[in-house]
Amino acid sequence: MMRRIANIAVLLVAALLCYGMQTTKPHYADLTAPIPVYGKIQDTLRTRTFDIAVDKVAFARTLKLNRFGQQKLLTSGGVWAIVTAKLNARDRSTMVAAATWQGPDGLNYRASERVSLAAGALPVALDPGVAGKTRLVFEVLPSQVTGATLSVSGKLAGPLDSEARIALGSVAVQADGLPEGTIETYELGETF
Amino acid sequence: MSIAAQPIDETGNGRTPAERRWWLRSLLALVVLIPAALAVMSYDSVKELLRNQDFFATDVAWGSKARFGGSDWQLTDLRAALGRADIPPEVVPVLVDMTVTVGETNLQTLWLSCRIMLIDSAGRRWLPTAAVSFRQTDDAMTCNSAIFSGAKGGDALKIRETFLVPKDATATIRPAVGVASERPGFLLFQRPQN
Repeated sequence: MMRRIANIAVLLVAALLCYGMQTTKPHYADLTAPIPVYGKIQDTLRTRTFDIAVDKVAFARTLKLNRFGQQKLLTSGGVWAIVTAKLNARDRSTMVAAATWQGPDGLNYRASERVSLAAGALPVALDPGVAGKTRLVFEVLPSQVTGATLSVSGKLAGPLDSEARIALGSVAVQADGLPEGTIETYELGETF
Repeated sequence: MSIAAQPIDETGNGRTPAERRWWLRSLLALVVLIPAALAVMSYDSVKELLRNQDFFATDVAWGSKARFGGSDWQLTDLRAALGRADIPPEVVPVLVDMTVTVGETNLQTLWLSCRIMLIDSAGRRWLPTAAVSFRQTDDAMTCNSAIFSGAKGGDALKIRETFLVPKDATATIRPAVGVASERPGFLLFQRPQN
C-alpha cells in the first residue's frame, strides 16, 4: 500500500517537474539571441568583430540632403535622431550592417531607410587598422528619446554573435515636447 | 565475498554476477557512445564551419606556381599605390596581382566564393576594398569576375585586387587566396623578393 502511494507521489512530482521545465523553457530565438556588450556614450565597446564608440547624438526637425544632385528636405512627424560613431575592425575585415534605436518603452526603430543613400549610412565595410565611422539616422517618437539604447551589430541577424548596446542617457525635454537641443535643420553632408 | 561484490539495490534484491557484468558493460559503452553521438550530431556543423574558413596555410615561394582549385596560381606583384589625395596618409592602398593558368575549367564550381586576402605577421586579415578603385589599363579582373569570364583551359588570367591597409602593416603583409573547393586549406604567398 505504502509502495503504491509512494509511486503515485513520484509520478506526480515527475509530471510537475516536466510541466515546470516545459513552461519555463526559453524560446529558441532567445537561446540563440545576440550576446550583448554594454556601454554608454564615449565608451569604446569591443564586440567580437568590431569596436564602436558613439561620439554624439543630435536631434533635428528636418533633414537636408543631396540626392541624385537634388536638394531634399525630409520632414518628420516625430524627430530625427542622428548618431555619429567611430568604428574599427578587430583582426579581420568586416561589416557593420544593422542598428536599432530602442526607446524606454521598448519601441524599436531601425535606422531610417529614407536616408540610406547618405554618406556614412549602414552597411559600412571596415578594415583592420583603418579608422572607420558611421552616421546613423533614426526617425523616432519624441517620447522615445530619453533613456534610449542603441544596438549595433555586424549582421542583420546574428545568432550568438556579439552586439553593442549603448545607453544614450537621459535627455531633457523642451516646452514643445521635443528633446533639448533639437535644431531646425540638420544637413547630411558628405563629411561628418 | 565482499560487500561491494553483492550490492543491494532499492528493491532489496541482490544482483547476480551476470547482471553486474552487463551493468558494467553498459556503463563502459556510455563512455564511448556519448562522445560518438556528439561527434555524429556535430559532424555537419563542423564540416560547414571548415568549408567557410581559411585555416590551413600552404606556403608558396616567390616566383613559383601552386596548384589550387584545379588551376596554377602565381603571385606576380604586390605594391603600394601612393599619391592619392582622397586617402588619409596613414592608410595605404595595396594592389595584389596574380597570374592564374587555368587547368580545370569549371571555375563556377571550383572557385566558388573565391577570397583573396592580405595577412600580416600579427594574423590580421584584410579583404578587398570597394572604397578605392584604380583605372585599369590592362585586362586584369577580380577573382569573382574571373569565375564568370568563360576562361578556357591553358588561359592565363590576370587577377588584381585592391586593399586598404594601415602603414604599419605594409612591411609584413602577405597575399593569400582561398576557394570553396579547397577550404579549409588556402595558399599563402611569400612576399616578392627583389
